[in-house]
Amino acid sequence: MNPRLLFLAALILLHGSASASTAEAEKRLQTAVNEVLAAADAAPSRGVLLEYLNPILQRHMSFDAMTRRAVGPGWRQFTDDQKKKSTQLFATLIIRTYSSKFTPGEHPVIKFNPASAPAPGRVEVPTTLQYQGSHYSVTYRLEEAEGWRVTDVVIEGVSLVANYRAQFDEQFKKGGAGAVVGALSQSVDHQK
Amino acid sequence: MKLPILPLLLAAATIPLLTSCNAPAPKQPTQSAAVRGGSDGKSVKAAEGDLNEYRAVSVADPLEPINRATFWINDGLYTVVLRPLTKGYEFVIPKPVRTGIHNVFENVRFPVRFVNDTLQGNFKRAGYETGKFFVNTIAGVGGIGRPSDHIPALADVPEGDTGQTFAKWGIGHGIYIVLPVLGPSSLRDTVGIAGDYVLNPVNWVSFVYGGYAWTIAIPSTNSLRVTHEQLGVYDSASKSSLDKYLAIRSAYIQHRQEVAKK
Repeated sequence: MNPRLLFLAALILLHGSASASTAEAEKRLQTAVNEVLAAADAAPSRGVLLEYLNPILQRHMSFDAMTRRAVGPGWRQFTDDQKKKSTQLFATLIIRTYSSKFTPGEHPVIKFNPASAPAPGRVEVPTTLQYQGSHYSVTYRLEEAEGWRVTDVVIEGVSLVANYRAQFDEQFKKGGAGAVVGALSQSVDHQK
Repeated sequence: MKLPILPLLLAAATIPLLTSCNAPAPKQPTQSAAVRGGSDGKSVKAAEGDLNEYRAVSVADPLEPINRATFWINDGLYTVVLRPLTKGYEFVIPKPVRTGIHNVFENVRFPVRFVNDTLQGNFKRAGYETGKFFVNTIAGVGGIGRPSDHIPALADVPEGDTGQTFAKWGIGHGIYIVLPVLGPSSLRDTVGIAGDYVLNPVNWVSFVYGGYAWTIAIPSTNSLRVTHEQLGVYDSASKSSLDKYLAIRSAYIQHRQEVAKK
């Protein structure tokens, strides 16, 4: 076979598989968003909404990756116990903040824009969110692990993980892993 | 509310802009970072090879102690004065009217966007802004309505501002500054705010007809409207933070980075 043709065929194949995985990631995100909206509709109050959203977000988001990256290289000095604890606390913090943003009965309008794949196994889905009269640009970063999972949410250019990275860094410099876990549990308590 | 700040802004504008303006650029996670991280890209649980995926977003903050103090004064001011004021604004003025007021002020702010798009050499966007201004002024009855939202090309025009123009010209943030009342900014963006102020016709009435009460009323309504919007953003950014000051600083720098890309 003509080597040039072979190359072309390979290119088409590669392209095909890339867009297939992008479509998979988009589908996963849409499922997650639909589940969240359905839960927001079904929940009679904010307290209940939190209970509804918890399993949904745990299923679709990778809190392991998010916590690890928000901590950065200092993660290597965390004991297994500290890793587990901080991941749990961080997930709680994020899920609570997220649920508090919903007013039961008010629906955001979400428009999905064309997704891109910045690297193999990674997909970014830009969306426009219209809520209570304002427009926000929200980009979801997804990665393939056991299926596609959300690993970051970027609102108006502000990455959730990067924002915590700045804060965890300061705590880690002050008192290592213990300080990070301490500050996290303090924030979670404060939120109640 | 903005009036007493003007002299301060102008004073800041006289500070040599380019001295020590080399704030390290905030690192965004990039494709190469993902690859360099040693992650095979297949597994989110990849054994800790991705710890440098995000770098702490950094900006020079030599004034941190003063900034933190101003930050907490602002925080108190928001809680004690501005929040009740904006709640009152919300309570007294019904939502459709608030939306109308919002639209009118945004429409009038047209020169800020137009001049900066032009200074950035983005004539296409300046053209869109002009189109939007005429559509909303004429079909939207003085800008109360926003019929431009129904025209796809005009619905989502990124907004230009003076700080953004400086960023496009390659000027860095300099240092991070928390302004009294106005909140997070940087040396560059403070000068930018002064530019926006001068370009915004809402503030011209004060210069043209100085002395009348209503020339204060118009800019005040504008401030109240802006505050009402910004408090929402401020609340959600700071509520779940470990260190409010750092959370807002990081969010501000990331957001301005994004604006500069648009």
